[in-house]
Amino acid sequence: MPSLRLPAERTRGPLPAETDVAVIGGGLAGTAVAYELAGEGLDVLLLERGELNREASGTNAGSFHFQIAIHQLTERDAGGSHARLAADVRLQLEAARLWETLEEELGGPLGVHRTGGLMVAETPEELRLLHEKHAIEEEAGLETHVLEGDELRRFAPYLADDLLGATYCPAEGHANPFLAAPLFALRAAERGATIRTGVAVTAVEPGFVVRTGAGDVRARRVVNAAGAWAAELAATSGIELPTRSEGLHVNVTEPRRKVLEPLVQHIGRRLTLKQTDSGTFVIGGGWPARPERSPARYSTIWESAAGNAAVAVRVMPSLAGVRLVRTWTGVLAFTPDLQPVVGEAESLPGYFTCLATTGFTLSPMIARMLAAHVARGEPLPPEYAPERKGSRWTATT
Amino acid sequence: MTAKGSYDLLVVGAGPAGLAAAAEAAALGVSVAVVDERPAPGGQIYKQPGLRVAGHRALGADHRRGRALVQAAERSGARFLLRTACLSVRGTEAVLAPEGERARTVTAGRILLAPGAHDRPVAFPGWTLPGVLTAGGAQTLVKAHRVGLGRRVVFAGSGPLALAFPAQLRRYGVPVVAALEAGPAPGLADLARLGAAARGNGRLLLDAARYRLELARARVPFRRRRIVVRAEGRGRVEAVVHAAVDDEWRVVPGSEERIEADTLCVGYGLCPSVELSRLAGCALRYDEDLGGPVVVVDEWQRTSVPGVSAAGEATGVEGAHVAEDEGRLAALGLVEDERRAAPVRRRLERRRRFQRALRRLHRVGAGVYELATPETVVCRCEELTRAELEEAIEASADIGVVKGFTRVTMGLCQGRNCARQLAALVAARHGLALADVPAATPRAPVRPVPLGAVADETVGDPGLFVA
Repeated sequence: MPSLRLPAERTRGPLPAETDVAVIGGGLAGTAVAYELAGEGLDVLLLERGELNREASGTNAGSFHFQIAIHQLTERDAGGSHARLAADVRLQLEAARLWETLEEELGGPLGVHRTGGLMVAETPEELRLLHEKHAIEEEAGLETHVLEGDELRRFAPYLADDLLGATYCPAEGHANPFLAAPLFALRAAERGATIRTGVAVTAVEPGFVVRTGAGDVRARRVVNAAGAWAAELAATSGIELPTRSEGLHVNVTEPRRKVLEPLVQHIGRRLTLKQTDSGTFVIGGGWPARPERSPARYSTIWESAAGNAAVAVRVMPSLAGVRLVRTWTGVLAFTPDLQPVVGEAESLPGYFTCLATTGFTLSPMIARMLAAHVARGEPLPPEYAPERKGSRWTATT
Repeated sequence: MTAKGSYDLLVVGAGPAGLAAAAEAAALGVSVAVVDERPAPGGQIYKQPGLRVAGHRALGADHRRGRALVQAAERSGARFLLRTACLSVRGTEAVLAPEGERARTVTAGRILLAPGAHDRPVAFPGWTLPGVLTAGGAQTLVKAHRVGLGRRVVFAGSGPLALAFPAQLRRYGVPVVAALEAGPAPGLADLARLGAAARGNGRLLLDAARYRLELARARVPFRRRRIVVRAEGRGRVEAVVHAAVDDEWRVVPGSEERIEADTLCVGYGLCPSVELSRLAGCALRYDEDLGGPVVVVDEWQRTSVPGVSAAGEATGVEGAHVAEDEGRLAALGLVEDERRAAPVRRRLERRRRFQRALRRLHRVGAGVYELATPETVVCRCEELTRAELEEAIEASADIGVVKGFTRVTMGLCQGRNCARQLAALVAARHGLALADVPAATPRAPVRPVPLGAVADETVGDPGLFVA
């Protein structure tokens, strides 16, 4: 079998003096944008300061979240949120469809599994929220079912039998976060994109002049795909991008016989839980990690492991006897309204941004949207514009 | 008055360094707790027999020394937290998991890391066959559990253990049929160096001579400059193939010999256990002569992290005597008692001189990492062969990337079995020195622990994401 990874030698070497599009950031968004743009016949240079896929794209838990999450629901007071939520759901659906054909398109395994997903409720209030979000999802065309009492116990006998209910979404699942971006990078390179790792961009100046630790590159257009560091990068061009980053804690256990098919989330507490192909349980859900200079950018916090494990064992009691083997941290970019940023800066034509809060699920989709816009002028949803107006779109929140 | 769950000094590891530190510190009048995952203090070297034996005399001087150390620590008033794993250290906070209980965070005025060392894992064809075990594993079986190893036992290794270990096994009645030492016989220059350093180290030299004599009397062939090449057998070890090596321990073609055996003990030296030190963020340096990555300490065994000290093999594999004295220094460092430290420092200097003289004889050759063939499983937890790892290493010299592609170092052993071998493969492919291959990011817990013991309902949910 031919290797599905770009050899180290092909990511080194001199920088070109100029390029049509400079893509900054070698995560899932950046590699997918490079792949799509190269497919559109454009001359692409991808710059990554470290190694490919080492930040959020390679450290997240690999879940496909399509159901509306509680943090989205609690934004309802923002006004007009119903339509916005429905639009979010539709974007997620498109992303789901893209993932389903991605292995075939890229010609390699990505560990894509459509396992279905459960979102559980412990309290009557949480159960009410489940019903509410189910109605919005149905309207937007996302299939979900509310399961209560015996119906839930029969469907998911491994869950605690006193849970009040759960929504089941057949479209949810997971892929392997270690495989996606590297395969996009390989295919991008095969389509002619130049990929350089270990090249840190220090500033993007009008023109554009992309200043890097390895010299300057002239680029007609720039795509900021720097994820958690996108705001920092944008600031070097005078663009205010009100995104922030957070470190998140993830846990993984020893392998056990397969018992848990769907992805499990909680409507009211921080939990994502799934059993991987190798039998390990991956447990996350957004427990915090501690920002750090060294040895890692975010270090694990034992309290996060303890709290996260408590929710997991509460929801699936048999986990109590399964051993935790390691914890790790990942970084996540947050946009103030939790919607993606896809588009061109009004204040700086030719400067594009491509990032999403639940970036693993959405990146291949928004990368394709952005590439179609850059190459062919296909329209982009104005609500994803980098300098959009809105009460929740300011850097001061 | 010390609050429950908080100590002036928390010692992690009840081996020679930890025990000596605990006794010395308790004598200073501070509250001390010693944590160890084993059921009894003593560490690997002074492991207490599982069965009561008639006279401890039969177990030798080392054992008596260990008993004295254990008793001194026990009588000192230090509190022992046994069957308790230390899962993580951050500053002066440690997460402790007593067997069968919930893990808890303990704070201390100072934490002393004395976790010891583990056998250097060496991957060669057949190393995963039943019947192949590490020197440490064999020692535990024989000493603590009184389990016989087999009917024809081959020992392959290097360093002081290569001589002592087969001789000790013979004493326990284990039928050792061959002992293979990868290193050279001492040359004239070595003997001169050893002689010069021997003052005050006479016992160690005598020990070596006695072990050699014991093996000769028992007619156990002791062969230098030979390395194990593979273990053969269907379902378990049936034979061991060994070969002559050059100065770098690279196999000399055509020198293979085969010996029938049902058990193979492998002991190519020890690697410092630095997982907790890494987690704590302590500065490390690389010194192949001291076992690889070692914790950097000052003259009082204090690491680069405030409130965290380290002693024993974690700061360099130099044996139990050095470990003991390092433990004492760490304890005396609490009050910086230079007067009482002076004789300890003199003793340490003497021992270290001797250890340095021995090093050329016991340096680990690069060839030890080149025994695996493409089909040999290098990562046992994830069952990855050398060829599979090398394919991933093509893409990057970054261990983090290689981990991502293959899951290597992320299994139950958390890299203890494969990390060094992996680093050697990266070094070979990308033209780096072994010392220059950065280690993977350390992650808690350093030992697997049931989620039920981790779970704590009282930890507040940080709340849902808000924009």
